[in-house]
Amino acid sequence: MTKDNILRFLRRNGALLVLLVILTAVSTAAPGILRWRAINGLLKDNAPMLVMIVGATLPILLGCLDLSIAAMASLAAVVAAMLAPTLGSFSAVVVVAGASVIGAVQGYLIGRLQVPSFVISLGALGIFKGVAMYLTGAAMVGIQPGIWVYDLLGGRVFGMSNSFVLVLIVAGLFAAMLKFTNLGRNIYAFGANEIAVYISGVRRDWVRSFAFAASAGCAALGGVMMISQTMFASATVAGSLLLPTLVGVIVGGTAISGGVGGVLSSLIGGLIAILIRVGVTISGLPPESQDVAFGITILIAVALTTDRAKIGLVK
Amino acid sequence: MTTAFSLEGISKRFGEVTALDNVSLSLVEGEVLGLIGQNGSGKSTIMKVMAGLHRPDSGLIKVGGRVVQLRSPLEAASAGIGMVHQEQSLITSLTVAENLFLDKPATSTRMGVYKWGDLRDRAKHQLDKVELDIDPFTPVSELSFGQRQMVELAKVLSLEELVQGHLVILFDEPTAVLNPPEIDALFSQIRRIKHRSSVVFVSHRMDEILTISDRVYVMSDGRNVATRDKANVNVDELYELMVGKQRVNRQDRKPREAHLGDQPALTLKNVTVPGEIEGISLTLAPGEILGLIGVQGSGAETILRTIFGMADEWTGNIEYFGKPLTIDSPAEAVHKGIGYLPAERKTEGMIRNTSVSENVAITYGWQHGRGGGMISRAKERGLIEGWVKKLAIKTPSISHRIDNLSGGNQQKVVLSKWLFGKTLKVLMLDHPTRGLDPGARSDLFAVIRELADQGLAILLVADTLDEVLNMADSIIVMKDGRVSARIEGVQAAPPSEEELVKAMV
Repeated sequence: MTKDNILRFLRRNGALLVLLVILTAVSTAAPGILRWRAINGLLKDNAPMLVMIVGATLPILLGCLDLSIAAMASLAAVVAAMLAPTLGSFSAVVVVAGASVIGAVQGYLIGRLQVPSFVISLGALGIFKGVAMYLTGAAMVGIQPGIWVYDLLGGRVFGMSNSFVLVLIVAGLFAAMLKFTNLGRNIYAFGANEIAVYISGVRRDWVRSFAFAASAGCAALGGVMMISQTMFASATVAGSLLLPTLVGVIVGGTAISGGVGGVLSSLIGGLIAILIRVGVTISGLPPESQDVAFGITILIAVALTTDRAKIGLVK
Repeated sequence: MTTAFSLEGISKRFGEVTALDNVSLSLVEGEVLGLIGQNGSGKSTIMKVMAGLHRPDSGLIKVGGRVVQLRSPLEAASAGIGMVHQEQSLITSLTVAENLFLDKPATSTRMGVYKWGDLRDRAKHQLDKVELDIDPFTPVSELSFGQRQMVELAKVLSLEELVQGHLVILFDEPTAVLNPPEIDALFSQIRRIKHRSSVVFVSHRMDEILTISDRVYVMSDGRNVATRDKANVNVDELYELMVGKQRVNRQDRKPREAHLGDQPALTLKNVTVPGEIEGISLTLAPGEILGLIGVQGSGAETILRTIFGMADEWTGNIEYFGKPLTIDSPAEAVHKGIGYLPAERKTEGMIRNTSVSENVAITYGWQHGRGGGMISRAKERGLIEGWVKKLAIKTPSISHRIDNLSGGNQQKVVLSKWLFGKTLKVLMLDHPTRGLDPGARSDLFAVIRELADQGLAILLVADTLDEVLNMADSIIVMKDGRVSARIEGVQAAPPSEEELVKAMV
């Protein structure tokens, strides 16, 4: 195997290898983790993050970055909880649809205003957070049991958390979209060379709007899953999920420079993020060390996967 | 008369391309040497060798009779050689004074902090040299292009205080962005500095070269083909020399017989893009190849980009099969049946790190799909393999990465993207053969001719004279954003190469 081949093999299967290594390490330290109940519990608890990872993959495939996802998830949770008493199950639909529209506008503004995506979404982060704070008055909003959709997402049917089943369905839909549709082809090509794709007659604004709509819609779905588990929402309920979500996408192998990766590899990255969290907990380190671990992981993963030839100057 | 500077037997290759082939040049003290040649003749390369931006593969550089090595612009500067750049090298957000001394040792500073008074005085002194009466603390962004060019000159002239002896000042197409009064002002400055410097002046414009130069130095195909004193310049001879290898063998050429459609595919009336093209009118019929030719910056590319919906603002009328064409994005142009092959293959044409098949299918793949936005890679595969065979694209398989193909094959892949659909009516090619070897060029030509024979309307911006003479049914020559010559019936009665060159420069 030449050096190039080894590198390519690692790029393609690196995430899976890392997953196996961490799984081995964690399960050696705490064999209980391999029990079905424990796995199921972890998948259920982390379903909101996993669905956010699926959505967050799309902007990154374009070479963009959506920093507003965690704030969007919190805002969606708050709004859903406030609408639930009047709209019932329909509140979840309204929130996810509304978030998608807002995401689409964000995506459109990047091209329209010619402002980098991380700036647009950083602005959006501030706005979403502020609005959520204003709506709740910094208090918690509870919901009553008995609303079909939240009960469903909080429960389990096939011996597995329904939320996690939904994550798999969403991921499967996006994976199929990326593989079998013209839009999916355009997303990968956009990430590889935006200018050439523009000159090929692809509508850049539409592609970007779709990706950011998917990202915001999935974030809102994550927020809905959170209230189905905790039965309450607050303006910061998903605030800590931004970093682990991005860790999941990038560790999964979706390069921040765009064009390579996919939602299924992001799911593997998401499992790694979960195990990092578990590993920190069982090693007896204080919970705050989780963010340190995620910070280090994202630095390493970006350093390994970024295509610098494409970016030109690194600023 | 002493020789101030000379190049002896300089050669420079870039990969497969020989940019300079055993070129010698000598510069007498106090003279202005006018350098003229077509695109790709080696003008820019020779200037860059003199300025220390390129290192020659072989040959000697002598300053005042001594052999020197110019490894960087800084070393060139310390040998007294300065370049006034074509693309302006000033930093527009800084003041004139700061720009003047940006590339010099920090003398107006104390512990890294500017001594503003001292800086102002020294900047004023430099600006006086070029008779530019502006506050040295004006930001460059507030200056006109003419004033900026003067600041560039002042920046180079400040070498006087730093270097003992004679200066060599290189002007790389300084007039490209200037208006006539600004050009006059520049010329009077050039005449003024002759007392202590030699000047090399590059221009695409013959009249400017003849006005300012004491000697004319003609380049063609990387060689110096003639050097003439101003007194015995024969302009027609210069045009003839500039043609170089681009001469078409009149015996061997096979004229193409075009079958033109009745209704024009594309009609431009008075199309203007501010600062780039002015009052362009043309018609293009189905089955016709219309060749556009001009030196770099003549505006030919802008015409294509305007039609393709990439110009920010333009005025005039474009009709497409008799109906007004109003588009503001390539997506709309493509939807209407207009394709565009950009000149910058690597940055605008091919989608890097992606397979041959994805590059071909990106634009029209959906037309062969299952409907509803679903694509069918299986169906595409057969069609793509057909094009790969037809255009003789050398690739191990269609799932091979486009990056690993040779330039000519990459270009064919990018071209097949436009041939892959069912709706293309007009194809615009911007320097399609740039960077291709002769074999790949003639392959590509054969394909383009066949496409025209099938009824496609083709607008071709050509790299070289022989391209338009061999391919085009009509030729439009561009100069400074305007049409400078129109030639119909090219295949039946081709114009001479000199006629084209004359209209270009």
